[in-house]
Amino acid sequence: MTSRFKIGNLISSVIIFLTSLAVLLPIYIIVTAAFKNEVDIFDRPIAILTENSGLFNFKQLEMFPLYIWNSIKVTFFCTVIQLGTASTGAYAFSKLKWKGRDSIFLLYLMSMMIPIQVIIIPQFMIIRSFGLYDTHLALIMVASFTVFGTFLIKQFFMTIPDSLLESARIDGAHEWLIYWKIVMPLAKTVLATVLIFSFRWFWNEFFSALIYLTSPELKTLPLGMTDFVTEYMVYYGPQMAAAMISIIPVMILFISLQRFFIQGITSSGIKG
Amino acid sequence: MNTKSLEKTPWPTVLSFLLPGFIGFILFVFFPMLSTFLISFTNYSGGPNWKIVGIDNYLTIAKDKHFLQSLVVTVKFVLIGVSLQIIMGLLFAMLLNRNILGQTFFRSLFFMPNVLSSVGISLAFSLIFHPTKGVANQILEYFGLPDSPWLTDPSTALLSIIMVVLWMSFGYYMIIFLGGLQSINSSLYEAADIDGANGVQKFFRVTLPMLSPTMFFALTMCIINSFKVFDQIFMMTGGTDGGGPAGSTNVVVYDIYQNSFRNFRFGYASAESLILLIIILVITVIQFNNQKKWVTYDI
Repeated sequence: MTSRFKIGNLISSVIIFLTSLAVLLPIYIIVTAAFKNEVDIFDRPIAILTENSGLFNFKQLEMFPLYIWNSIKVTFFCTVIQLGTASTGAYAFSKLKWKGRDSIFLLYLMSMMIPIQVIIIPQFMIIRSFGLYDTHLALIMVASFTVFGTFLIKQFFMTIPDSLLESARIDGAHEWLIYWKIVMPLAKTVLATVLIFSFRWFWNEFFSALIYLTSPELKTLPLGMTDFVTEYMVYYGPQMAAAMISIIPVMILFISLQRFFIQGITSSGIKG
Repeated sequence: MNTKSLEKTPWPTVLSFLLPGFIGFILFVFFPMLSTFLISFTNYSGGPNWKIVGIDNYLTIAKDKHFLQSLVVTVKFVLIGVSLQIIMGLLFAMLLNRNILGQTFFRSLFFMPNVLSSVGISLAFSLIFHPTKGVANQILEYFGLPDSPWLTDPSTALLSIIMVVLWMSFGYYMIIFLGGLQSINSSLYEAADIDGANGVQKFFRVTLPMLSPTMFFALTMCIINSFKVFDQIFMMTGGTDGGGPAGSTNVVVYDIYQNSFRNFRFGYASAESLILLIIILVITVIQFNNQKKWVTYDI
């Protein structure tokens, strides 16, 4: 019995170890290849550094400071707006009583299954008719709400007892005051979770940028990285340098705030 | 005291909370959804000259081998991708649900790829899957195995994309399953122990039935997410190929994108979109109807 138990443990340790290697390998390749020249990238892929290593790949990314700035700008506005609309929406869906509330929320949830490509033509036409084509505002507008975030915050709001709000209502407090002074301070954790999810989403967001931006000086970081795909000559060094720039901020955020990520996913799953 | 709570909130107040997000939803999701339906009955191509063509787009699609291939690719992608993601997610949730050294570290490590930029990761895998000199082939050679063409051959391109998607998201499903496993009452396992059940019996008689609500959620999410995969395909096999070697990675969402923004066949792409949406809707409805047969919400 014990020997079988030990063999089982050994096998699972080996599986976990090998999978860890497989998970780390691409990240390792990105981070090391970013500093290597084209020859070393292929001939010595596993070496951390070679005698030729340097910052030359990063120097080729002339447009990237601008792309990074664009990404920061768009991500900041999208995240802040989403946090606002998701929390007020969640309040309306959980703490206010009105006709059609549950059916509209169901409609919200159902929209999560629509791939963006299915609605992109009319959405594109609407954005263009507003004169927003090729502007950052287009990306911010189409991202002004989040079904996932609204859902997550609503789940939390529902755990706040109504009696807490009732006493304030009897004292004649307006709903906005209750929302701001009572409910929101209690919701800090879930708000942080939504904030992080939105940040991650917009830092990585690709499709809307691909559709709505054409001017090189407006490109966000993920869209900027497609510069390499269309070119005839493919240089992997600068690509890995760009990939490194795109994944490092999110990795740092994840490592320092991982409990929020895990919480967000678990709480969306259990009740789901 | 409860009389006031039964009253409805005045509409101006409701709207002041609801509209900030709801306007965006109506304008950029709900209304476009209805429009896609309408555009699918026209030959609209972005210009001023267009007319209603009835169900012509749908008739063209029914005869279009290109679209049929795209559907087959999508079905393959969803079937293989979902199975692998769910099995690996569940496997690693079970492996890391025990008290082992570095439990938290490995959970975080396996989940981490999920937060990274799919575009950046796709660039990395294009390098790893390089057909002649990539790391993936060097590893194969090290073990004395023949090289694989990875993304450059119709027979392996889709599987390569699936591997990248799997790499990015098995950790997400692992976290979902871990949440489910932790909510299983341990007394059930104790009872099974008393009855002399072995590990396999415990898995099939206790773990799986108790995990069925989580499994239902994970499956639903995984299927929906798999229909949406676009970035990896665009980055790794898009480019000048357009949907991979011989269209072997041309999933329906990618085909819709190509017909919309490269060929400007808006009417046709809208018809494709609607068919795709109906497929997703039917699968989801079937899942919800079937859940009574295998999902346990008791205890």
